[in-house]
Amino acid sequence: MAAPFRTCDHCSKPAVVHNTVIVNGTMNELHLCEEHAAQAGIQMPGAAPIKELLGQLAQAVPGRPRGPACPECGHPFADFKTSGLLGCAACYDAFAATIGPVVERAHGGATQHVGRIPPSGAATAERTAAVQRLLKELEACVAAEQYERAARLRDRIREMRAEGAPEATP
Amino acid sequence: MTPPPMHDPAELASSPDVDVVMSCRVRLARNVAGFPFVGRATHPQRREVLESVRAAVGTDEAALGLAGGRIAAEGQQGLAWLDMPALPKRDRQILFERHLVSKQFAEGDSPRAVAITRDERFSLMVNEEDHVRLQVLRTGNALRDAYETAIRVDDALAERIDFAFHPRFGYLTACPTNVGCGIRISVMVHLRALRATNEIEKVKRAAKELHLAVRGFHGEGSESLGDWFQISNQRTLGVSEPDLLEEFAGRIVPAVVAYEREARRILMDRQRTLLEDRVYRGIATLKSARMLGLDETMKLLSAVRLGACLGMLPAVSLDRLNALTIQLQPAHLRAAHPAVETEDDERTARARVCRAVLGEWPTA
Repeated sequence: MAAPFRTCDHCSKPAVVHNTVIVNGTMNELHLCEEHAAQAGIQMPGAAPIKELLGQLAQAVPGRPRGPACPECGHPFADFKTSGLLGCAACYDAFAATIGPVVERAHGGATQHVGRIPPSGAATAERTAAVQRLLKELEACVAAEQYERAARLRDRIREMRAEGAPEATP
Repeated sequence: MTPPPMHDPAELASSPDVDVVMSCRVRLARNVAGFPFVGRATHPQRREVLESVRAAVGTDEAALGLAGGRIAAEGQQGLAWLDMPALPKRDRQILFERHLVSKQFAEGDSPRAVAITRDERFSLMVNEEDHVRLQVLRTGNALRDAYETAIRVDDALAERIDFAFHPRFGYLTACPTNVGCGIRISVMVHLRALRATNEIEKVKRAAKELHLAVRGFHGEGSESLGDWFQISNQRTLGVSEPDLLEEFAGRIVPAVVAYEREARRILMDRQRTLLEDRVYRGIATLKSARMLGLDETMKLLSAVRLGACLGMLPAVSLDRLNALTIQLQPAHLRAAHPAVETEDDERTARARVCRAVLGEWPTA
């Protein structure tokens, strides 16, 4: 036989929050279901939002990224704090807010490069972005089992990386 | 592997400041655009970087702006590529002892290789902390020459490889402390007298204020073996390469050299007998000991080197002393004496080499 339970004050669902509040000397009982408790802004113990739970789960599983990570290479920022190393060129922009002051401290307050510039300097950023776009496309092709197109993309990426050729989507 | 051909006597004789500056080095750090940095890259990606850099660098020294007159005249051109995972541990250690690769690079087994010129004055590591780490080594204080060579190679490579570059941070490196120029200028100096007069801490403090790093014989993390110190720049952002070179070659190195010479002069004036005692005890021990540890040997060689520079040992040549500091390192000894198995064997072999080389020289 099931144990008797109280229903929600606002609907017929079982109440999971039971509160006793005293207003102007009068004691009032409050019984709410999960949904109405959330609407009333009551945080239920053991019922943390799903995102938070997933976040905690990610932290509990070794090797899973924690906190912010580089959108290009997936390098977790926490790793930079322990190793002092970044994952890729894009990390410098992804973590700019934190890396900027670190760089400044390491270089006696300097914030701007004033030395040599490679011939490809101006085009480098654009080419890197183009390669990254192709990589994402390649991933999608593999997922969709479009292997012929994936092979063409792979060859194009190799060409662009090897030759530093001007980028163009195939 | 063959014994070290470095410290060419002709080059040594023509290099300025060899009494204090043993060697100098210019290193550049670069990364290939479009690939994650080495630490984040998968093995297939590291292999791809290695193969594309190897193809771009090739084996033609002249095409990289490297061919020196002497080497070219002997028809010995051609970069040698060595795949680290395929090399026995001892050979990797030999490369490290010759300052051609870093310790970290020598010990790893993921895809990595080093290109070395026959004269061993240039090496290029692929997949160290950064995709490309190239260095030019010179005997004595020849920083300007080393710098010009490094820049020529960088120009040649930039035509063939697309390097990761950022308008604000300059050349991008795995560690933000190397961004900007990605250049490390360093000198290996013998500061025996500054250490003996307890002035070395002042040098270290002054160096810190000037954003310089002072390290040991084998660079980062190495203890200073026998009074050899490596001084290098730490700032690489917000300063141009020529300005850094000028600061180093024009101001810092001359100041350190002058400071050490002054300390030597003071020692000669005030404590000559004590100084001579150290020098002659040093050479006597090296000439007659039956077992020698590495630390002890480096300290004794340091005293002998100082004596040679101050004219106490006219028959002792600096180039042989410089070569000995490499030849007496563990892997070099074991390569030259295959029978060496235990550490005691190694100490015995080290003493035998010292007796053979130094025994030829009269001491007074």
